[in-house]
Amino acid sequence: MPAAPRSARPAALAAGLLATTLVLAGCAGSPGGGTAGSGTAAAPVSGGTLVYASGDAEPTCLDPHVGGNYPQALVAGQYLETLYTKDDDGAIVPWLASGAEVSDDGLTWTLKLRDGITFTDGSAFDAATVKANIAHLQDPDTASSTGYLAVEKIKTMDVVDDTTLEIGLSSPDAALLESFSMPWVAMESAKALKRSQAENCASPVGTGPFKVAAWTKQDSVELVRNGDYTPPVPGAGHDGPAYLEGITWKFIPEAATRYAALQAGTVDMIDNAQPDTIKAAEGSEAIGHLDAPRPGASNRIELNSSKAPFNDQRVREAFVRAVNVDDGISSLFFGTAKRSYSALSSVEPMGYSDPALFGRDLDAANRLLDEAGWDQRDAAGYRTKDGKRLTLAFPVSTNQSVPAEQSLFQQLQATAKEAGFEVKLNLLDLSSWYGVLGENQYDLVSAPYTKVGPDVLRTLFHTSNTIPAPSGYFSNHAQVKDPKLDALLESASATTDQAERKDKYTQAQQIVLEGYYILPLYDQQNHFLYRRQLQGVGATTAVASPTFHDTWLARD
Amino acid sequence: MTEQALPGLPGGPGGPGDRAEGGLPHPGGTAVVPGRPWRAAGAWLLRRVGSAVFVLWAVATLIFLAIRLIPGDPAEAILGGPGSQASAEALAAARLEYGLDEPLWVQYLSQLGRLATGDLGTSYALRVPVAQLLTEQLPGTLALAAGAWVLAWVLALGLALWSGLGGRGAAVVGSALEIAAASVPHFWLGSVLVLLFSTAWGWLPPVSNGTAAGLVMPIVTLALPLAGFLGQVMRESMLTAMTSPFALSARARGESEAGVVLRHALRHAALPGVALSGWALGSLVSGAVVVESIFARPGLGRTLLQAVTLRDVPLVTGVALVSALAYVVVMALSDLAERAIDPRIRDR
Amino acid sequence: MDDTRLQRGPRRGPRTGPHRSRLREPRRRAGLLRARAAGPVLAALASLFLLLAAVAPGWLAPTDPLAIDPAAAFQAPSAAHWLGTDESGRDIYARIVHGARPSLLIGAAATGLGLGLALVLGLVAGLGGRLLDAGVGRIVEVLLALPGLLLALVFIALAGPGVATTIVAVGLSTAPGYARIIRSQVRSLRGSPMIEAARVLGHSPARILARHLLPNALGPVMVLATLGIGQAVVWASALSFLGLGEAPPAPEWGAMLAAGRTYLGFAWWMTFFPGLAIVATAASSTVLGRALQRRAVAA
Repeated sequence: MPAAPRSARPAALAAGLLATTLVLAGCAGSPGGGTAGSGTAAAPVSGGTLVYASGDAEPTCLDPHVGGNYPQALVAGQYLETLYTKDDDGAIVPWLASGAEVSDDGLTWTLKLRDGITFTDGSAFDAATVKANIAHLQDPDTASSTGYLAVEKIKTMDVVDDTTLEIGLSSPDAALLESFSMPWVAMESAKALKRSQAENCASPVGTGPFKVAAWTKQDSVELVRNGDYTPPVPGAGHDGPAYLEGITWKFIPEAATRYAALQAGTVDMIDNAQPDTIKAAEGSEAIGHLDAPRPGASNRIELNSSKAPFNDQRVREAFVRAVNVDDGISSLFFGTAKRSYSALSSVEPMGYSDPALFGRDLDAANRLLDEAGWDQRDAAGYRTKDGKRLTLAFPVSTNQSVPAEQSLFQQLQATAKEAGFEVKLNLLDLSSWYGVLGENQYDLVSAPYTKVGPDVLRTLFHTSNTIPAPSGYFSNHAQVKDPKLDALLESASATTDQAERKDKYTQAQQIVLEGYYILPLYDQQNHFLYRRQLQGVGATTAVASPTFHDTWLARD
Repeated sequence: MTEQALPGLPGGPGGPGDRAEGGLPHPGGTAVVPGRPWRAAGAWLLRRVGSAVFVLWAVATLIFLAIRLIPGDPAEAILGGPGSQASAEALAAARLEYGLDEPLWVQYLSQLGRLATGDLGTSYALRVPVAQLLTEQLPGTLALAAGAWVLAWVLALGLALWSGLGGRGAAVVGSALEIAAASVPHFWLGSVLVLLFSTAWGWLPPVSNGTAAGLVMPIVTLALPLAGFLGQVMRESMLTAMTSPFALSARARGESEAGVVLRHALRHAALPGVALSGWALGSLVSGAVVVESIFARPGLGRTLLQAVTLRDVPLVTGVALVSALAYVVVMALSDLAERAIDPRIRDR
Repeated sequence: MDDTRLQRGPRRGPRTGPHRSRLREPRRRAGLLRARAAGPVLAALASLFLLLAAVAPGWLAPTDPLAIDPAAAFQAPSAAHWLGTDESGRDIYARIVHGARPSLLIGAAATGLGLGLALVLGLVAGLGGRLLDAGVGRIVEVLLALPGLLLALVFIALAGPGVATTIVAVGLSTAPGYARIIRSQVRSLRGSPMIEAARVLGHSPARILARHLLPNALGPVMVLATLGIGQAVVWASALSFLGLGEAPPAPEWGAMLAAGRTYLGFAWWMTFFPGLAIVATAASSTVLGRALQRRAVAA
């Protein structure tokens, strides 16, 4: 699943900010805030192994070039680094790269790289390496999904010298640097890439603070400290290698077991924390909470506008006005999820939100449905038109929707019934879910999409993305085919003037929201819980996955 | 007072044809030719091997057909799972490499050929030889299943003995316990155990950490429902045996109650349990899928679940074949055990 | 036989041959009879309640099992909600009562399907010639060799999750076990004096089948089958746990159990009561089944 969480790899500002916070704030880490640390600001201690338990499915390949989903980003963020990253303000800043220039026509980018960076296998990081990495992504044999899409506009690459690469595009791409900040476009050693895919999947070689030592399938991945590491940007985090000796990356799919392991001390940090455990942890002295919403799209329900009944905007608006999700969100998520009224994540600086469009109004819903011709009701209370019932198919992936979310959909189903909608929930495993989507057999769907930057709007709402890939997959689930919207998205992706981009994306979001193509729920939830012995937690990649260069284990 | 036994279970006591003396009539059928034990053993072995080969072939065929019928493109499964945005070239290349374009019967025969030579293929999703995955995952599940089986037997026999010796009260309590145990789903039991023994009391680790303590809860979770079922079956057999004429005559000869139980009734109690071994194995493997998921234990159960979800044909086939092989072996062993316990069985 | 010589053992009468029930035993203590009746009576009452819940849930629980009330979520059992509320504020008592129908349907239908299939296989194998017996035996063996969950998973992947699929998946997994027992029974009954006598008396094969063979062949299976109803419901709940069960918001017990497990730490009533319903079903069906079997065999 393409993910695009927001992460803030500390650049100079962020790292300094973090360090200051640690020293000054002390115990004042706000619940749900992104700051770590509690207790006194003791000096970092070197040594110890962090045990991390992930609730996501174990990746099938540790190289995020292959495929490209969030579990891969989580683990690869430890041993691979990207050309660019995000700072705390959400701005894209150089990391392995030192800067970039773009030609006036937007078709040629000149990428400048930092000097003196080496991979853990000894090879140097240079322009040829970057070229090899992008070629690897574009190679069909790699079977890259997310990374492939991110660099799809790159046509030619010219190694000018060791630290300069000239990139030629097929059409202007304002989101190129954002793409370069995602872990699925991370930099690996060119020498390592030449190995067989099986070998590279088992131990990718990067420049990060850790490196892959071993991978016991269905059990854990062992990472060890990269002794030669120092942050490429001076001041971003402490100088020199990580404090931790290593990380044991385990996979515990069961939420209750995962949390039990954290409480028992068997595990130091977990992800995919469930709302009730977050609430419990917030009251606990022993467990800290890192809230890092993923960038890209918000968690929203998309209405399939390509067929009846949602091809009629009035019906779409009626549905959005009829359902009550606020009560459910507050009770099921115990206040850990905030209602969103935007198509974009709250960490996207160019997000636009309009709460007024989404207030519950059952009368308006009924009126709209009557207007749209659905004015008859059958014996069960559902609306009908020409003898056909107002039924909505809602396939739900049990892999992607946590239990609280599944319950929320049930509440949505119950409140929609009041206006006469029949919502049919269908719980499916991932394969079957993709199958149903590919065959256009849905009216409602919740499909998360993580990507850095507002260009995700193009992925989700441009007409070209209703055309299925050879596998049947397409990303524009709301099937929005609006030429005006297309034009806005295309011109936004072509201009590098940030103000112009923001204006165009705002207009685009207005069209999406006012067309009632989506029902925004909340940010893509990305909660981590960790034991307080773990200090220096909080740094994340551009996709909001945690990194541990500055993290250390306090001796009890 | 005593429940009727389950006649009809192979070799079970109280079956039709049993005489009032509760002794050893020989039901019809071909008897062993006395004086040629090796020939009989050889014939038995040949039959077993033949049946094993047949079962494995049938399982491979069934899985092949079943998975082919499941909607979805296997080429997608090869290229990183469902919804992969793989390009057309990549899909085409995968189809070529794995021979997915060829007619069904060609694919079937080539897979059979590979299996016959012991080549289990490569997992689509994990890109690792299936044989390697199986050898890695098998010990975990084996430990779990074996431990659970032993525990289930101990509990079931224990309850049966207690009922036998304790009279009606014990029988009722035992029965109630067994029904409760057999009605509890694994996932629920596992969750409750984790809640009590890990979160609340902190006695046991919630996930496997290589130590024996980490095995306790998974084994108990897997064993209890099976113990409930086996216990029911065994208790009935035992009680019937205890009231049968041969037990009567044993008591008449001056044997103590405990003696009757241990020397005579125990065999009768154990027999249906042994007969159900094959079924018990299937039940343990099914339960292992859930238990391994809950306790995050590596094993064939989790592998199987993931493989079916990802439509990973070679891996599903591999796990199914291993299970079938285990079943055949267990059946053969249980057959031997039955013969050892029950001298009436000679015609198989 | 002189009873005094048997005083050492527990007080049980002599066996009078196969297929006779324990009803002939001396009822030395009146309490014994009462105690014996208590079980089946309780079971009958429980079954009656469950059947009523399945047939006319509205009588027993007028509250709407699907009515959500987020403000009242996670409430412990109280006067307003006898068994508490779930994560969406729905009344659990109402959900359990209304859930009887789908849960019992799955249990009964799956067991019925399994028995039906087993009967066909068992009769064919038991009555047919050696070749047929061997053939069917092989089929049964193959089905037994595959773990039940694998069969269920593959079948559900084929046909999509839902009630019907669950029924077929569970039925298919249980059929081979019953088939072996039926076949074994039929085989041994074939040569028994009872059947021989019937043949000698000139009864038609159909009559022999219906009046002698079937009841005695089915006898041992009934106990397993009644236990199997409970098993089938448990199976279905395991499938719900794996995300392959009935569509929400249907109040099926297994789905409730699976959903409530997430909140086990602080809302124990969400799993306890559906679990109790499942155990009650299994227990009452087992006890009743045994009582009926005793009666049938005594006839």
